[in-house]
Amino acid sequence: MAAPEVHHLFHNPIADHSFSADRKTLAIARDTAVELYSRVGNAFKLKDELKGHDKIVTSVDIAPHSGRIVSCSQDRNALVWEPSPTGYKPTLVLLRINRAATFVRWSPSETKFAVGSGDRVIAVCYFEEENDWWVSKHLKKPIRSTITTVAWHPNSVLLAAGSTDAHARVFSSFIKGVDARPDPGVWGERLPFNTVCGEYLNNSAGWVHSVSFSPSGDALAFAAHDSSITVVYPSGPDQPPKAIISINTQLLPFMSLIWNGEAEIIAAGYDCEAFRFKGGPDGWQLSGTLEAKGRPGLAGNREESALNMFKQMDLKGKVNKDDTQRNTIHQNTITMLRPYEASGGAVTKFSSTGVDGRIVIWNA
Amino acid sequence: MSIIQQHTAASLSDAWRTIDIDALVEDSSVNFDTSTLHPPQPETSEAEVRQINGQVRQLLRGGDAEGALRGALETPVYNGPDAAKDAHLHTVIEVLQSIKASDMTPMLQRIYATPGGSECLDVLMKYLYKGMAATTTASGSGDSSAPRTPTSGVRGGMTPQQTGFSQVGARAGASSDSTGAAMSVLLSWHEKVVDVAGMGCIGRCMTDWRKV
Repeated sequence: MAAPEVHHLFHNPIADHSFSADRKTLAIARDTAVELYSRVGNAFKLKDELKGHDKIVTSVDIAPHSGRIVSCSQDRNALVWEPSPTGYKPTLVLLRINRAATFVRWSPSETKFAVGSGDRVIAVCYFEEENDWWVSKHLKKPIRSTITTVAWHPNSVLLAAGSTDAHARVFSSFIKGVDARPDPGVWGERLPFNTVCGEYLNNSAGWVHSVSFSPSGDALAFAAHDSSITVVYPSGPDQPPKAIISINTQLLPFMSLIWNGEAEIIAAGYDCEAFRFKGGPDGWQLSGTLEAKGRPGLAGNREESALNMFKQMDLKGKVNKDDTQRNTIHQNTITMLRPYEASGGAVTKFSSTGVDGRIVIWNA
Repeated sequence: MSIIQQHTAASLSDAWRTIDIDALVEDSSVNFDTSTLHPPQPETSEAEVRQINGQVRQLLRGGDAEGALRGALETPVYNGPDAAKDAHLHTVIEVLQSIKASDMTPMLQRIYATPGGSECLDVLMKYLYKGMAATTTASGSGDSSAPRTPTSGVRGGMTPQQTGFSQVGARAGASSDSTGAAMSVLLSWHEKVVDVAGMGCIGRCMTDWRKV
C-alpha cells in the first residue's frame, strides 16, 4: 500500500476542506476566510482567498458540477461563491438564524444546500429565480439543540442531521418546484417538508459529531461523543428499524466518518488517526487502524544519535524519545474526512484535515 | 444598513456581555427540562435494590465474585431515591473490596469479552467515580450521605488518581485508614478498568445521561 500523501499547509486549525471535482482545487476553511489552493506538481499552492465573513468560517463545500462554493460562518451567514472569469463572486444567503451557522453541505442535485446552526434549526436553501436570491426554509421540529453536522441522502430530499441533543435525525427537505418527487423507500413514502423519517439516539446518548448515509442511502451511521459509532438499518415507514447497531470503542471519540461501500466505515477523531469498521446488518466491529505504524520515514526520525542522547540527558535529566511528536501522521484531532477518489462504489482514496493544519490523502 | 452610533453607559461598559440571552429565548435549553431529551429510565425502589443486593451478597458468600460483580453491574440504579443509589454503591464497593488484586484484570477481561460486557465496565467506571466522590466528602465533612459531585473544585471527578489519594490521606485524619483503604481499592480498579475498556470508557462516563 502506497504511503499517504501529506501536506502541511499552515499552523492553524482547519475547520473544513473540500476538493473540486477535478481535485485540482482545494478549499480550506481557515479562520475568517476560505483559502483556495491549487495543485502545483506535488504540492498545494495558495491561489485565492475568499474574504466575506467576519467571524470564523465553520464549513465549506464545493459543488462538483457547478463549481459553486458555499461557506458558512459564526457570523450567522452563508455565502455562495459563484465562479466567474474575474474570480469568485459572493452572494449572501438569507438564513434567518440568530446563532452561528455550524455546517453546510450541497445536496447531490446541487440545487439546494443545508446549513446547520446553533439556533436549533437547519436552513434548507434554494435559489428562487424570480427574486434572483437564495432563500431558505427552516427544519425546526423536533430539534432541541445545536446542529453539529448534516449529510445528504443520494436522492437530495432526505437529510440527516446530528445534534448536541444527542439525536441523529432524518428529515425530508422536499421543496416543491426544486425537487423531483422521490421514490418511496425505506425511510418513507410521502415526504412533505419537515417530515421526521427517523430519530435515533444510542444508549449513553453522547452528542453527535458526524452522520452519513451509506452509498445506497438505506442505512445511516453516526458517530457520537461517547466514542461510539451507531449504524441504523430502517425497515420501512412508521416501523421500528430493522437493526440499530452501536459499537462502543476503547478509543477517544470520532469526529467524522465516511462509508466505503455498504460494509465498511472509516472514522477518525480525537485519536488523530483513522480507523476502519467492518460489518453489515448483523453486526459491526472495529477492524483496525489505517495508519501503517513504523513507516520507514518515521523510523529514520526516531533514530537517536549518541550525541543527541547525552544532550537530552543533560537538558532534561532523562532520555526521552521525541515525546512531543505523536506517532500518527496527524499531530492533532482529525475533524473532517471526505471521499477523495472513488471507483465502482468504493472509496479508493479519502482526505482528512484536522486541528494541526495538515491535509492527508489516504489510500482506503 | 446603518451602524447605530449612540453610545450609552450600558453599551460602553461590557456588562451586556454577561446577559444570559438564552433565558429570553423560549425554546432554548435553559427553558426546558433536559431530561426530556432521552427516554426515562425505569425507576428502582429501595426494596428492589435491597433484594438485588441480597442476591449479590449471596453470590459473594458462595465464592462467585465474578457473578456477584456482574450481577451488581447489570442492575445499576439510574432512577431511584438517593438511599437506593447509595445502597447499591455500597454493594458494588463491597464486591470490589472482596476481589484480590491479582484477579482483577483477568476478571475484567472476561467480562469485557462477553456480550454487553463493555456496558458493564462503563457502569463499573461510573460507580468508581461515584465511590471516590462519596469517600472524599464523607471523610472531609463527616457527613455520610454522599452528594453526587465532589465538593472540592480543584479535584473534579476526573482528575488524575494520585492527587485524590494524597488529599484524602492528608485531610481525613482519624478516619484516614478506612477511607484511604477504600480509595486505594477504587484507584487500583480504575487503573485496571482503563487498561481493559480504554479511554472511551471514561469519555462515556462523562457524556452519559444515566447517572448512578
